[in-house]
Amino acid sequence: MMELSAERRSVSQMPWLLLLTVVLTTAVGIYNLASASRPPSSPMWASQIAYFFIGSAIAVVVAWIDPKLLERLAIPIYLVNLGALVALKFFGHKAKGAESWFIVGPVRVQPAEFMKIGMLLMMAKYFHDDYRPQQPTYGFLRLIPPAVIALIPTALVLVQPDLGTALMMAFTTVTVLVFARPSLTVWIVAGVLAIGSVGVLWNDYVRVQNTEQRFTIIRHKLKKHQDARITGWLDPTSDLKGSNYHAMQSKIAVGSGGVNGKGWMEGTQTGLRYLPEQHTDFIFSVFAEEQGYLKCLGLLVLYAGILLAALGVAAGAKERFGAFVAVGIAAMIFWQVFENIGMVTGLLPITGITLPLMSYGGSSMVSVLIGIGLLINISLKRQRSGL
Amino acid sequence: MIKLGQKSDAKDLKTRIIGVGVFFVAGLLVLSINLYRLMVVRYEEFNALSVDNQFKDVRLRAPRGLIRDRRGEVLVDARPSLDVFITPAFCQKCPVEVLPRIAEVLQWDEEQRLKVEAMVKAAHGPQRYQPLIAAVDISRDEFDQLLAKQFLLPGVDLEPVPHRSYRAGPTLAHILGYMNEITQEEITKLNGMVERPPYALGDYIGRRGVERSFEHAIRGNDGWVKHVVNARGEVMRDVRGNILRGGQSEAPTPGKNVVLSLDARLQAEAERAFPGTAGAVIAMETKTGFIRAMVSRPAFDPNEMTGRVSPKRLFQLNQDPLQPMVFRAGAEHYHPGSTFKVVTLLAALQAGVMTPTSTVNCSGGYTLGSRRWRCHNERGHGSVDAKRALQVSCDTYFYRSADLMGIDPIASMGKLFGLGAVANLGVAAEVPGVMPDSAYHQKYTPGGYTKGMALNTAIGQGDVNVTPLQLAVLYSAVGNKGHVFQPQIVQRIESPEGQVVESFVPKQVREIPMTDEQYKLIIDALVSVVNEPGGTAFRTRSADYTIAGKTGTAQVAKLGTVRLKKEQMDYFERDHAWFASFAPAEDPELTVIVLNEHGGHGGSDAAPTAAAVFAKYFELKKADSFALGEEWVPPKPPKPVFYSKPNPAAPPDVSDPGLAGDVPPPPEATVQAPTGAPR
Repeated sequence: MMELSAERRSVSQMPWLLLLTVVLTTAVGIYNLASASRPPSSPMWASQIAYFFIGSAIAVVVAWIDPKLLERLAIPIYLVNLGALVALKFFGHKAKGAESWFIVGPVRVQPAEFMKIGMLLMMAKYFHDDYRPQQPTYGFLRLIPPAVIALIPTALVLVQPDLGTALMMAFTTVTVLVFARPSLTVWIVAGVLAIGSVGVLWNDYVRVQNTEQRFTIIRHKLKKHQDARITGWLDPTSDLKGSNYHAMQSKIAVGSGGVNGKGWMEGTQTGLRYLPEQHTDFIFSVFAEEQGYLKCLGLLVLYAGILLAALGVAAGAKERFGAFVAVGIAAMIFWQVFENIGMVTGLLPITGITLPLMSYGGSSMVSVLIGIGLLINISLKRQRSGL
Repeated sequence: MIKLGQKSDAKDLKTRIIGVGVFFVAGLLVLSINLYRLMVVRYEEFNALSVDNQFKDVRLRAPRGLIRDRRGEVLVDARPSLDVFITPAFCQKCPVEVLPRIAEVLQWDEEQRLKVEAMVKAAHGPQRYQPLIAAVDISRDEFDQLLAKQFLLPGVDLEPVPHRSYRAGPTLAHILGYMNEITQEEITKLNGMVERPPYALGDYIGRRGVERSFEHAIRGNDGWVKHVVNARGEVMRDVRGNILRGGQSEAPTPGKNVVLSLDARLQAEAERAFPGTAGAVIAMETKTGFIRAMVSRPAFDPNEMTGRVSPKRLFQLNQDPLQPMVFRAGAEHYHPGSTFKVVTLLAALQAGVMTPTSTVNCSGGYTLGSRRWRCHNERGHGSVDAKRALQVSCDTYFYRSADLMGIDPIASMGKLFGLGAVANLGVAAEVPGVMPDSAYHQKYTPGGYTKGMALNTAIGQGDVNVTPLQLAVLYSAVGNKGHVFQPQIVQRIESPEGQVVESFVPKQVREIPMTDEQYKLIIDALVSVVNEPGGTAFRTRSADYTIAGKTGTAQVAKLGTVRLKKEQMDYFERDHAWFASFAPAEDPELTVIVLNEHGGHGGSDAAPTAAAVFAKYFELKKADSFALGEEWVPPKPPKPVFYSKPNPAAPPDVSDPGLAGDVPPPPEATVQAPTGAPR
């Protein structure tokens, strides 16, 4: 082991690919934001630069924290975040129908963005502590604690309501759980559950039923806008002027970009504000409309770079804690990207979720950069622990 | 619990990390394939949608052409109507604050305010950005009051909007017509399948008269621009506040002006001089058929009908027993009475049953079979020849003629003059009237044709019915020796710059063969009606020019045994008074027809109006010739009248129409104070 560590004691301990792709993506995001928030909007790109530097500063601190301290802090961080989410119910600021914000002086903080990290740290700590080399697969009993760790904050986010973030947290959790290697029984049960939920979806939304005596399993419990989104996702032409309007306008924006795009600041869907939340959730449609397909591919390559670099960090981690944190952060970034671009291009129903490093917003930017800071921390840790 | 950094080894995770990596890359591939589908495969479709999103076609209204009289005086143009618009999206606290403020200034009642409130509240979505009309034609004072309060009225716009203005009000209403909003059916019919349809909902379209018949010329072609709009339908502006426009556009083509053959001054005189409650006055150029003045009374106000009429008022207009909406000059027919006698006379002469010199002895009536047809002069006119028969309007003479030739020669002559068929002025609805012949009676009259019907027709009673317009054509043809013209009122169409686009020429329909002798006889007879003592319109004569004319008194109600004065009868049972004339007799220029509906006698209640119109016509002609530097050739004065002892065969009739009635005198020239004090 010492030889290996000695070999790695070099500058390459720093995850340069990760840093490069993150900085490039952020730069592309700021460039794109300048167009999305063109006059008469306020120039959000300037604030975004500020958020990047704040986030980077926090990331540097995170990267240099003693890894042991970080592990010890996992439980308090998790609890504080949970407390913040509960407090949100009482002191939160309501915006666009959801209680997602704290207002502290001039700053608006979105606790859910930080909860994700707390949740990942907590789960990583569990899997680290619960390592049993004799029992390489996880049965139901051993999966219950991480499931509970994930379920509590996810449920709290869901009732805000913030379906997008909750889904992302759920998907990330599933990814981490799968990564932890569940037993065959778990796979079989999960498979049955998956088929069951597809069945519910089919019964509630696809099957043609008599409107009066319709038998639905969960549909009648959903809120009206949630129901409309699922309907709209399954049948994009069902309600073009209503809930599907934004989905359609977003597809128009993306589709009209073509191979080469309309040019920076030239996007008409953007300039004329046909897109909702075009600087946050729908930022990708602005990029696609103005930059075109080729640059969209470029952006996906950048994300692939971030993800693979993050997985590289995971692969290089000497401890399960670091590996799980790194995989969790990669999964978190992946699912945000997948959900966001999927939603903007009509592949998935519209849920509010930001595109990492591209969407405008301090909380989103800072939480992603904290994740990057953690990755750097893990990457550097193997060097120091090797000494 | 396992100590950190000791047994919790991470080496077994490597393959799984690769698996996760493969999954991530696969996910991103799915995204890139979906993007390819949208951005490359379906690019055309989405690009077209985004272009549609971006632009809104905005119509540029073409200004509608003017209607002018022959001298260029504007009869119809546009005036600014001060309108109040409310854009619901920008109208904050609309029902609570803004509307009550407007209601206070405009003195709306509760009902009106609630109506506007409902309209504002009904707008949803992008409609909220469309301005709604809240009030039209507010007064200048109200406009100024609202303008002063505008900072308290968010979302309220005050704008002068061009509105069609009929300067002379009800004068010429039937000829000029009016406009109102187009219906959905008309849009479907008129627009056809063109890319940029000419009409849209909310447009006004000509409804009657020239406005309707010349809609294609007056309307012009709307232009359009592409305005850049945002998702809410708001028009986008650049930093300087200019409206952002798309690439293509087309400027509007203004409508063409229609120039009528009317002379507004003569029209005003005809309106003034006509004393009747209802009826028509037509002044037509004898040798061309162009209309110089045309009164149809009562009339409606086209300014009111053009988008300013309430359903209640419309109901009133339609219920009015005098029927102001009816175009009496052409769309209503009447018995022509004695004015028809020229047709009978010419028919008799041409059929050979009468010669200019053959006489009939009038003993106050004519007996055919067992029935006696009365002459209007119960004491009889004695022996009358053709000229005298017309001059004194002796019914007996024409009864005799009809008895000799039957109805068909009269009907053929009438049809040659254009009776029984629409005169085809072309700008308003017209009726053909009735020119009965034996076939007509066989078909429609119970019991078929009998000779008595010819006798009735001969004096313009029975089934014969003419419109004033037909009579104008008829008397013009008499005056110009048989040339029947189609009446016209539009002289030419001009471009907005005044270039003649289309000029209308006289349209002769046919020529009636007429010998010089016949022509001279009829002219002499018609001149004697006006210019010789005993003529039924003797009081109408002028000392400066010779008027030829014929009075007519058409019975409306069946005569009882006792003759009643018109004042003793109900209005709707009184006779129609006719006067048909042209002047100067030697070389007729102007034909004037007067119909005073239920007015009484032709000589007293119709002829003076014609005299006033002739007087004005020659006065204007003189004034214009001086103004234009042309040589003024005064018309030949008539032969001086010698008051000899009355003709014993025709003692003055007590009911002689020439003895009563007159035109109101022209208004005295008022001397205006230099300060322009109100009159």
